[in-house]
Amino acid sequence: MLPGLLAISGVEEVLYLSTCNRVEIIVSADENSNAPKGLRDFLASGGGLTEAEAAGAFYEYRGEEAVRHIFRVAASLDSMVMGEAQILGQVKESYREALEKYATGVVLNRLMHCSFRAAKRVRSETGIAVNPVSVSHAAVELAKKIFGSLDGKTILLIGAGEMAELTGTQLIEKGAQSIIVANRSLAQAELLAEKFHGEAVFLDSLDKKLIEADIVISSTGAPDFIVTADMLRKIHHERRNRLLFLIDIAVPRDIDPAASALENVYLYNIDNLQDIVDENMNVRKKEAVKAEMIVDEEVARYINWQKELESVPTIVSLRNKAGEIVKDEMDKAAGWMSNLDKDDQEKIDNLVNSVVNKVLHAPVSVLKEESSDISSRDIVAAVRRLFRLD
Amino acid sequence: MILTNLELISFKIALMLCAVSTVGYLSSLLVKKVKLAKISTWILAAAFVFLTADLLFVIHDSSWLVNPDSRDFLLLCAWSVCAVYLALQFKTKTRVLGAFISPFILLFMIAAAGEEAGKTLRPQNLQSWITAVHLVLAIVGEALFIIASCAGIMFVMQNRMLKHKKLSRTSRLLPSLSDLDRINHICLLWGFPVLSLGIIAGAVFAQLSWQSGWLTDPKVIWTFAGWIIYGFLLHQRLAIGWKGYRMAVFSGAAFILLLLSYCSVRLCFSTLHNFI
Repeated sequence: MLPGLLAISGVEEVLYLSTCNRVEIIVSADENSNAPKGLRDFLASGGGLTEAEAAGAFYEYRGEEAVRHIFRVAASLDSMVMGEAQILGQVKESYREALEKYATGVVLNRLMHCSFRAAKRVRSETGIAVNPVSVSHAAVELAKKIFGSLDGKTILLIGAGEMAELTGTQLIEKGAQSIIVANRSLAQAELLAEKFHGEAVFLDSLDKKLIEADIVISSTGAPDFIVTADMLRKIHHERRNRLLFLIDIAVPRDIDPAASALENVYLYNIDNLQDIVDENMNVRKKEAVKAEMIVDEEVARYINWQKELESVPTIVSLRNKAGEIVKDEMDKAAGWMSNLDKDDQEKIDNLVNSVVNKVLHAPVSVLKEESSDISSRDIVAAVRRLFRLD
Repeated sequence: MILTNLELISFKIALMLCAVSTVGYLSSLLVKKVKLAKISTWILAAAFVFLTADLLFVIHDSSWLVNPDSRDFLLLCAWSVCAVYLALQFKTKTRVLGAFISPFILLFMIAAAGEEAGKTLRPQNLQSWITAVHLVLAIVGEALFIIASCAGIMFVMQNRMLKHKKLSRTSRLLPSLSDLDRINHICLLWGFPVLSLGIIAGAVFAQLSWQSGWLTDPKVIWTFAGWIIYGFLLHQRLAIGWKGYRMAVFSGAAFILLLLSYCSVRLCFSTLHNFI
């Protein structure tokens, strides 16, 4: 992929980023080249699209806009789930690939490192990724607020639904010890239990299994309550008053809401969890405003650097040109200067160099100072013309 | 004389550090940042080091075990609570607990600063090593109960928020229910025998020196009531299996009750323990 992209005329540096919902090609190219057209054709032909189909599928950013876009992507401000952590990993991975293929250079290397810094700052200086925004993560967070550590905890899944499975997986990842699956059909329960190396039981033996459980996740399609407050009250003593976290993902409900009033029992249904997720999402949106400000700062910093970069070659060629003139003139004068003694020759040499440096000092300083200014390009162009550097 | 100066300096530093850490802890609760509580814990640990140095100077200076003054007594209270809290930190890492504990430590230290140094704590007739043992054990035991109750009060707060199905910032800041229950358990488990030994030491001394009359002393009755209540709580926990919410409510209530009755005894009655 990368060699093909580099072969497109005008493309100097390139990086190819593909995530679950986007394909992006980040390119450093000559402004006057026809690189954008080449890239569009490349993508369209690669995806087997006609020109008309492809036209609506592309978006294109240039200059500062492109820099801002990349920073926002890396900081997960442009993701479907704002603030998710994977995107930065994916960006880093595609950068690593480009590095290995020698597809990046001064501009993209700097750009990508700045984007990582922007992402890192957004993560550490805002609360954008602090609170969970998925139901299963919210359930895990609640479990931690109840049990502290999940080590050695037993999970009881009632019903073999997908959501229950997902939440169960995450609880196991966080240290929960064992899973019991209770289902009307034992075959299905066994299928799921096998995945977790857990135990499968009939729904009839729920009472006994509730005694062992610390976390219960229920997601059956039953029309009535499967776990009633009375049931819990009866086993209260046998459970030795241990804390019990009930998660009811089913609609209609599987667990009697009255259970919530029982001591040391914490019942959350899918709506409660969704409320928590919504609230967390709102917090993220508020934090996103702060994050955008950080991105703006970092964009300004990068653009500054880029502008400085533009003036650097001019300064270098200006110095080289002056050096060449000095060398030519000194060579010409070598004939009569050979009559002087070594000491005087050195003095003349120093004098010439010092005059040249003093003359160049002002234009070089102006080039450096103005490099961050919008008008720097005009000045660079003027210097190049005045000294005939091109 | 030099030692006295050193003692005063380390006390002042400890007091200042303690005040800073209390402010830190309370602000961590307000701005809801655990990091602030972590820093405050380190500051409190530093305060503890100076407090320990201060106590060592006092002991070296004035044969403290024989005759502590009331300032030293309050210092010991502060030191005990601080020691127990910091020890718990190693086990449970529930730093926010400090927001509830550190004000007590600070109060003890301010009271100590207010007391006139050199005033004899125990009347001449009460001076013996056994009263010193009684004093130290009773204070450490009570300190453990203070922490058990603070954990209980925090449990009630956290429980309330979780039952209301809200995961607020305060809730995120407070330790988990299990951790708070464990702190309550550990403190009751250690506090009860320590206080029991302290009471026995006091009773032995009182019986030997006065034979009778001391049992009706209001502060003796108060201590005994506290001992019974905590004994009851420990019994319920170990034998009946009380856990979590009920335990937390009873610990919190017992603490408030004992605090109120202590204040009334302190203000209204003249007792054998007038110095406390």
